[in-house]
Amino acid sequence: MNHAIAVAGALIAAGMALGGGAIGAAVGDGLAGNATIAGVSRQPEAQGRLQVIMFLIIGLVEAMYFINLVIGFYFVLVVASGVS
Amino acid sequence: MMYLSEAPPGTHPLTPVCGTGTEYLNLIVVKFFYCAFTLDTLASSALAILVTLAICFWVASRLSTGVPGKLQMVLEFLLSYTRNLVRETVSEDARFVIPLAATIALYILVANWLDLLPLPKPWFYPANSDLNQTLAMSIVVFILVQAYSIRVLGIGGFLRRFTKPFELSLPVRILFVPLNIIEEIVKPVTLSLRLFGNIFAGLLMVYLLTLLPFWVAWVPVVAWKFFDVFFVGTIQAFIFMLLTIIYFGMAREGLEEEEHGGSQAATTGHAEGAMTPATPH
Repeated sequence: MNHAIAVAGALIAAGMALGGGAIGAAVGDGLAGNATIAGVSRQPEAQGRLQVIMFLIIGLVEAMYFINLVIGFYFVLVVASGVS
Repeated sequence: MMYLSEAPPGTHPLTPVCGTGTEYLNLIVVKFFYCAFTLDTLASSALAILVTLAICFWVASRLSTGVPGKLQMVLEFLLSYTRNLVRETVSEDARFVIPLAATIALYILVANWLDLLPLPKPWFYPANSDLNQTLAMSIVVFILVQAYSIRVLGIGGFLRRFTKPFELSLPVRILFVPLNIIEEIVKPVTLSLRLFGNIFAGLLMVYLLTLLPFWVAWVPVVAWKFFDVFFVGTIQAFIFMLLTIIYFGMAREGLEEEEHGGSQAATTGHAEGAMTPATPH
């Protein structure tokens, strides 16, 4: 019984963490894209250089989401499964 | 169709390194007293190491000063890029960072790209989809960064670095000590979790896509596989290398402020040169 409750709670928590993480990652990607567009429209010749930086930032931003995903999985598969 | 037989990644990344845990699903584990050796991770990282070494020795054996081969050109670009980055982010005399960062980048890149090949599944995963692997790398980086910080700044400067906003008054700076310690500890944790999370999420995504009916699954699976390996894998290898170098640069904080004024112009000049994407002329 306790196991079922713990797993259910962990699943809900993981879902909420993933939802919040997705919002954050989307906003961060949007900000990076926004700044890149502004930079390119100001200096079109810098496009190649700015795109490299943009993909780097996107990689960093989305990594936060994946860390979230892993921690969610950790809670479901390890912490909650350990409750007997 | 080869990708469709991929097993659920399950608890693979969450192996307890040490402990008496009893559940090792989908894993090939040998227990040794209190420790557990995850043989599939050892096998896949050994494969990645062997492939990296083979590539590097093969290129080194046929080095040419004339027109370089494609592979030699790629490796030379990686090495010179790393060298420039270390030179402008850390310092001129921190030469030991160059091989460390370049090795890390190349090894992670090879380990990620090996994922594209349909390797036999119970033994070979992408090596970085195990937290133990990435944590080991980032702990090595962490220890080296601290050692470098002590060597450059001395014990006093090393301790002074933990009272970081240097321009504030002393009592306020003491309040910042716990924050700085947390910041220092969080570095290797996020460094390892970032790489591991990306690669593991790739595995997980492949598994979820294979739950679709098989006649539709192969399109998203193949598309995702290419995106995951060539985009995410490359960027994560690059980010790991970049952050390694940046952490070494941050280990010199407190030394920079005395010589800050003069080197400002030179640093930005280097940065612009280094960020230009290399176009083979």
